[in-house]
Amino acid sequence: MHVEPLQDRNVSELSAYYYVDIPDYPETGWDKFKQVMKRTFKGELFVGLWVVLREMIKFDIHTVKYPLEKLPIGPRYRAVHKLLRLWESGFERCIGCGLCEKICISDCIRMDTRIDENSRKEVTEYSINLGRCIFCGYCAEVCPELAIVHGERYENGSEQRAHFVIKDDMLTPLDWLTSGQQQEYPGFGAITPNESVKSTPLAY
Amino acid sequence: MIEFTINNQPVCAQKGETILQAARKAGFYIPTMCYLEKTTPCASCRLCVVEVDSTDGLILSCQTPPTAGLAVTINSDRLEKERTNIMKLYDVNHPLECGVCDKSGACDLQNKTLEFAVSAQNFSAKEQHRPVQHWGLINYDPALCILCEKCTHVCNEIIGDDAITLQFGGYKSAVVPKNSDVLDCTFCGECIAVCPVGALVSSNFQYTANAWELHQVPSTCAHCSAGCSLTYEVKHASIATGTKEKIYRVTNNFEVATLCGAGRFGFDFDVHATKDEELFTKAVEAFKNSKAIRFSSIITNEEALILQRLKEKFGVKLFNEEARAYQSFMAAFGSVSGKNSFSGSLESIAQSDAVIVLGGRVSTDNPAVRYAITTAARHNGAKVIYMHPLEDELMQNVITQMVKYEAGSEEGVIAMLAKTLLNGCDVSDEIQSFLNGLDEGYLCAESNVGDEEFAQISKTLIRAKRKTLVVGLDILNHKNSANIAKLCGLIEMATDFSVVVISQHVNTVGVSLICDLDSDKPTDNVVGYNASGDFTVGSMGVCDMLVPALNSQEGTVTSLNYQVLSMNVAIGFEGYCLNDIANELGIREVNTIDYTSQLPIQKGFKGVDFDSLSNFYGPLGEDNRGYILEMMDVACDGVIDDVCQLPEYNGTIAYACNPVNQFNIYTAHTTQLEKDNALRGSAQFAIAARLAHGDRVTIEGHVGTKTFIIDETLKGTIALNPFYEESTANRGYRFEKIKLTKVES
Ligand code: SF4
Ligand code: SF4
Ligand code: SF4
Ligand code: SF4
Ligand code: SF4
Ligand code: FES
Repeated sequence: MHVEPLQDRNVSELSAYYYVDIPDYPETGWDKFKQVMKRTFKGELFVGLWVVLREMIKFDIHTVKYPLEKLPIGPRYRAVHKLLRLWESGFERCIGCGLCEKICISDCIRMDTRIDENSRKEVTEYSINLGRCIFCGYCAEVCPELAIVHGERYENGSEQRAHFVIKDDMLTPLDWLTSGQQQEYPGFGAITPNESVKSTPLAY
Repeated sequence: MIEFTINNQPVCAQKGETILQAARKAGFYIPTMCYLEKTTPCASCRLCVVEVDSTDGLILSCQTPPTAGLAVTINSDRLEKERTNIMKLYDVNHPLECGVCDKSGACDLQNKTLEFAVSAQNFSAKEQHRPVQHWGLINYDPALCILCEKCTHVCNEIIGDDAITLQFGGYKSAVVPKNSDVLDCTFCGECIAVCPVGALVSSNFQYTANAWELHQVPSTCAHCSAGCSLTYEVKHASIATGTKEKIYRVTNNFEVATLCGAGRFGFDFDVHATKDEELFTKAVEAFKNSKAIRFSSIITNEEALILQRLKEKFGVKLFNEEARAYQSFMAAFGSVSGKNSFSGSLESIAQSDAVIVLGGRVSTDNPAVRYAITTAARHNGAKVIYMHPLEDELMQNVITQMVKYEAGSEEGVIAMLAKTLLNGCDVSDEIQSFLNGLDEGYLCAESNVGDEEFAQISKTLIRAKRKTLVVGLDILNHKNSANIAKLCGLIEMATDFSVVVISQHVNTVGVSLICDLDSDKPTDNVVGYNASGDFTVGSMGVCDMLVPALNSQEGTVTSLNYQVLSMNVAIGFEGYCLNDIANELGIREVNTIDYTSQLPIQKGFKGVDFDSLSNFYGPLGEDNRGYILEMMDVACDGVIDDVCQLPEYNGTIAYACNPVNQFNIYTAHTTQLEKDNALRGSAQFAIAARLAHGDRVTIEGHVGTKTFIIDETLKGTIALNPFYEESTANRGYRFEKIKLTKVES
């Protein structure tokens, strides 16, 4: 239907509006009694019950079957963090600069770092206390390496106030990376993962 | 006073000051990148350029003294351009790794790059592959190095190791170990401290923490009597192992002060305990029933005062032979000099133009003294006369004259020295007759120091104006130390020498002033406080009850400069301390530091509260640490005895001497410091003792076995015997005739 006829709110031949036929309201007690009896025994009740029964038997449900099913979350949603890897080498992106730890306004990020065999900084432990985290996204924003990002896993109920995610929970597993399952989040400096991503040639 | 102008404003400079120093004092800012207050100018950065009216060119303010009436301009477009260009050059190919770099923002290069708004690289150079160098406790990343030469300057001018140098090669230039592939030095870590960028870093600390996460606790080094100022930097240990605090590193105000490796790397000697009522009751009982308390001088003044109060209240004896030796020495010294302390200090050594070191191995006994001597030699061209039975490799490059005497003959040597130094001085008849009465022939023969050597000493000293005599640790435990002390007192009183007497532990001086010490005789029921006893309470190794170590305590110590210095809690301690025991015994104060204001005023303490003691160096290097004890007059009634028989030491002799950076049981417990307790002797010693390199030996009268090592740098028949692992301080004279037995493995 077009919208034009609906814009004319007058009831007429040309408009989409018409008067509904409303029977007169019962006036006497007897009339009221007759209406009640009619509505009760007409069988309309069973029409509704039948619809429910029929749909139940058909198993063709149109609502989301949570927790078996989840609605897709917008890419900007700020749920439990992820630590990403470099596409070209599989190395961890996090360099252990500690900026996320420093900027975190609820002071819930902590990490341990050390010097590794190749004289590089290595992050040995990384934890976020989700009980304190307010999912402000500062850590993801400050990270110079696009290493820490917010993911879409929003369930973090727990029987304790303090509960943690650690590095292993957050870091992209290597097989996910090779099978292309690591999601890239658009933002400053973000890359489009494809064949053109290669390791930096070092001319030594 | 030289009057000149900076930016048209009148400024005064002292004689010898540079434009930069005068400008800083007057509050003008001139940027620098290579300037270090305590060394001669490196003059490598050229950032300190200024304009003067006397010449068209730019001059380096860090190395140019002003002339009267000079008009200096420190800000102009030309200077700004010059400085910006320098910063642009510094930034060429500098790795963009501030995110992980140990400087973590506390970086001169970063600061100056931002100050001059260098945001792009307009020059280019081919990048070289320059791998990180691992030098034991130190890592060096040539890619980050800006070649400012601060490190080489401190190593050479202050430390005296002269272990690193700049290898010039244009863009490939780098800092390299001198005459060696790997760094072989005393690992003071001072080069790490002065490095303005993250090129030289502590390998243990590298990449473990960012500067902003560390909590800084200003304190005093607990390892030797110099009491150097340091800052413990503390953070939670690890998220994997719990949140206990841990010291990550030690830093210092490197512009004016210096640390040795023990102070810088030997910081993790803290112990931990919880409040154990049962043990505490036992300890209180032990103190109550004790006849004597044996303790070490590695305690605070306040603890020493508590011990003294215990003595006053319960009549227990106080045993501390090491401090007692110092106490008796200073008493004898004062009986001739008329003062309870000496006039020299670490600063006066550094400012001297002649230093005599007698009877001690200063390089390992007290590195701060060594650094002061190096500074004097390098900056004032001081003549250094080193008198000892053993050569010291580490002092070699500052020594002007080595005087080698026979072990045990110190009394004769100092008598002859006094005679030499007093020559021409106005002295009493009594002393003149003592000097005339010396049997020179015998003394020279027995000590093996010839007349000509003393003649040489007077010749060396002719032009010297500021002279210091450093008396080492050997003397304190010498059989005739009292007479030697009087002779030292004589030199202090009658000549223009300042004397410095080295004490062994961090608070030997404090203990000697606060406690009435008894001579240590075998007694039953001895409680050991940081020392051995029937019941031991302490913070070293295995003890019956643990009390906090000096990095877990608030309190003060008295350094060899007679300066009261404060210590603060770097790592918390959960258990009991001496004050708790004292409270149980009826000597009541809430906190240990309540005793700070009660330290004996008659000994020169000032009766000030702990909380009003400051502990920092001012921006121009002013020493605002604690206070210096007042020098007290004492009765001048000492009579110098005649020097008769000198003891002789023949055969195989061991000299109690610790390796570099090891001082005591606490340094022995730290993780980073090298623990080398081998007995070291020369090839000649090996032949005399019939030992081969690597043999295990036992020394008669000592516990445990040691490895014998032939050390190429040693000569003669005296071996070096480390003692830092032994907890009691009762050692006696450092030279000892020993009997070695080889242990078959
Ligand atoms: S900000 Fe990024 S790179 Fe830095 S520590 Fe945090 S996650 Fe790692
Ligand atoms: S030395 Fe300074 S400028 Fe260089 S990487 Fe480290 S912090 Fe950055
Ligand atoms: S650690 Fe000390 S002695 Fe060694 S190179 Fe550095 S400054 Fe020189
Ligand atoms: S290592 Fe550091 S102190 Fe030494 S020259 Fe390089 S930047 Fe300067
Ligand atoms: S051990 Fe002595 S010289 Fe070394 S840092 Fe400590 S107080 Fe200073
Ligand atoms: S400070 Fe003068 S040249 Fe560097």
